[in-house]
Amino acid sequence: MSKRVALLGNPNTGKSSLFNRLCGLRSKTANFPGSTVEHQVGTCAISSGAEVTIIDLPGIYSLRLELPESAVCADCLDGRIGDGRPDAALVVVDANNLPRNLQFAASALRRGLPTVIAVNMIDLAQRRGLHIDAAQASRVLGVPVVPVSARTGSGMDELKAALAATLASRARPAPEIELPNGEPGSAASARWSASVLDAIVAGSLQRASHTQLHDRLDWAFTHPRLGILLFAGVMAMLFAAIFWLAQYPMEWVDLLFASLGGVAQRAIPTGILQDLIVNGVIGGVAATVVFLPQILLLFFLLALLEDSGYLARAAFAIDRIMRRFGLPGQAFMPLLSAHACALPAVMATRLIPSRRDRIATIMAIPFMSCSARVPVYALLTTLLFVGRPWAAGAAFISCYALGAVAGIATAALVGRSVLRGSPTPMLLELPAYRLPSIAQAARVSLDRGLLFLRNAGSVILAIAVVMWWLSAHPVVQPPESATELRAQASQLKLQDPATADALDLRAARIEQQAQQSGSFAGTAGRALEPIFAPIGLDRQLTVAVLTSFLAREVFTTTVFVLTGAGSDAESGDGTTLDVVRSAKRDDGTLLFSTATSASLLVFFVLALQCLPTVAVVARETGSWKWAIGQLAFMSIAAYALALATFRVLA
Amino acid sequence: MLTAAIAVETQSQYDDRVERAPVRIPLSQLARGQRATVECSALDALPESERCLLSAMGMGERCEVRVCKPGTPCIIQIDQTRLGLPDEIAQRILVTPVLPEQP
Repeated sequence: MSKRVALLGNPNTGKSSLFNRLCGLRSKTANFPGSTVEHQVGTCAISSGAEVTIIDLPGIYSLRLELPESAVCADCLDGRIGDGRPDAALVVVDANNLPRNLQFAASALRRGLPTVIAVNMIDLAQRRGLHIDAAQASRVLGVPVVPVSARTGSGMDELKAALAATLASRARPAPEIELPNGEPGSAASARWSASVLDAIVAGSLQRASHTQLHDRLDWAFTHPRLGILLFAGVMAMLFAAIFWLAQYPMEWVDLLFASLGGVAQRAIPTGILQDLIVNGVIGGVAATVVFLPQILLLFFLLALLEDSGYLARAAFAIDRIMRRFGLPGQAFMPLLSAHACALPAVMATRLIPSRRDRIATIMAIPFMSCSARVPVYALLTTLLFVGRPWAAGAAFISCYALGAVAGIATAALVGRSVLRGSPTPMLLELPAYRLPSIAQAARVSLDRGLLFLRNAGSVILAIAVVMWWLSAHPVVQPPESATELRAQASQLKLQDPATADALDLRAARIEQQAQQSGSFAGTAGRALEPIFAPIGLDRQLTVAVLTSFLAREVFTTTVFVLTGAGSDAESGDGTTLDVVRSAKRDDGTLLFSTATSASLLVFFVLALQCLPTVAVVARETGSWKWAIGQLAFMSIAAYALALATFRVLA
Repeated sequence: MLTAAIAVETQSQYDDRVERAPVRIPLSQLARGQRATVECSALDALPESERCLLSAMGMGERCEVRVCKPGTPCIIQIDQTRLGLPDEIAQRILVTPVLPEQP
């Protein structure tokens, strides 16, 4: 087992950049058991043939603050979590902010681990007139001190050599070195820091020439009206990029899975295994993975905005609005991410320090219109407003607005009833403005994408297989009409192949409809039809709504299959939509009346039809109580509003 | 002796002393660009969690702050660090304004 080095430091010290410089792409996001605080783990070659594991702990201001991140760092250093105490600590300090950073380093040194201190951003400090005597600093602090620049890569070889030497000698901080008793910020700690600085620093930092510009930018970005306007503009561009740019790679992913399904269909003999692989595994996973490009793009752009220093300011601009509804300013990033997918959004609430605020945000997230709702909105608004694209477009946007309003209202309701109290006032360090690093943003995006894929490969895959089994069993014998069509098709195969194919297709649709109706899912549809009848659903639509618990977009596929319009819900050509529009119920009335379409639209905006989200909410809140409560509340709200809509329009 | 000393103080000396005496005012009352010093006791009115966080973020013993933007949020600079504080916290931090250097 390779030796383990804990990487720690204050936020905004360039710790993540240093980690990336040391480990490159050989890293992954992980959680300590029983904790939702994320950290990165990577490997780094520190000398020929020797690799160490670097544990990139969250950036913290003190090891003794009552915050989950501080507790995790302290527990890791003391060996209470993970695989015992790390073999060494690598403390990152910002050369441009030594008074505060040295106090943190002192608290880390008191832990007694073999330690190396990396003085990062040394190039910037030198340009601004500050010179640090590293040898003298090593003598004063009793551990190796190495000036580095994670951005340019300077000093990395020296840092690796210092780490290798420290790990080899297991040298702990020299006992004769005086360290302050107090925590960072205490009078004793501040005095100690000042005396160390006197001994190791020559010169003083010249005031940055762009202070006035930064003051003006801060004023604009956090202004009550201008700040909100700028935020709205930035978010509009972000959305445009997500929806327009991502559509091309989404089509490629769709095509990839379609061809994968085709390959599997040809390679595996017809039967239950083929059905499981093609429809259960590939079909089920494809329905979720198709949104991967949107997720990658969203996190890439958010990482660029965060790295530029803008997002922290935007959080303050939006905070004053969010707080009126019991949500903290930090909630806006998860709520924004939820428009791509609720799963990473729920995980992103880990950024919110207060548990009360985190739960209030999680309660609002599933109301935001995620990408999986888009095909459903597109189908139902088109059915509602035939030949009126502007009205359909307005209805489409209204769905987003209804979801956002419902989410914020729910957060306010939960915040004032179950959770009580008001959101914690936002107290944030505002990082310096800078040009964002594309490489860093790409790494963050890739990391989030892999996390999403891991979910798709575990929870979502399991649900897909279960739902496939429920809709494929028991196997229903083909109806007589389908058998007759198949017989006619085989007779015409040589004389008129086109007609034969069309007959085969019709037979396949009838068989699918019979299978859907006779399967366990279909039986459940019939059993539950009385529940959904008051909001305008018949047996077929009840099955479609039930199967949409696999993933919302499955609704469109099920509707197209059940109405015999073909299984390709994306085709959207006039003929296919006409078949859906003119589809009839068992009593001969239209399947999609205006009242039913509107009621379904409201239901899909508000209902939590996403079992993976329920599972992730349970994990992130640490209790099934919140997840089940949320599922019940959203289902009741969706049903009640859909019922009201149906009654008004019927 | 003290009484005698006060008795001989001129009105202008008294005015100068009052003007230069450390007057503590809420951080939220400082104007943009104004500097002030913060004593540890200045954070006493805050809940412990916020007091500890602010201290660890750099608002320690006798630190000097510069107001980059007053209002909500109140943005201050300590050394090279900028912190954003909500108004309700800025109102509860008492600071001593640093008088402009005399020519």
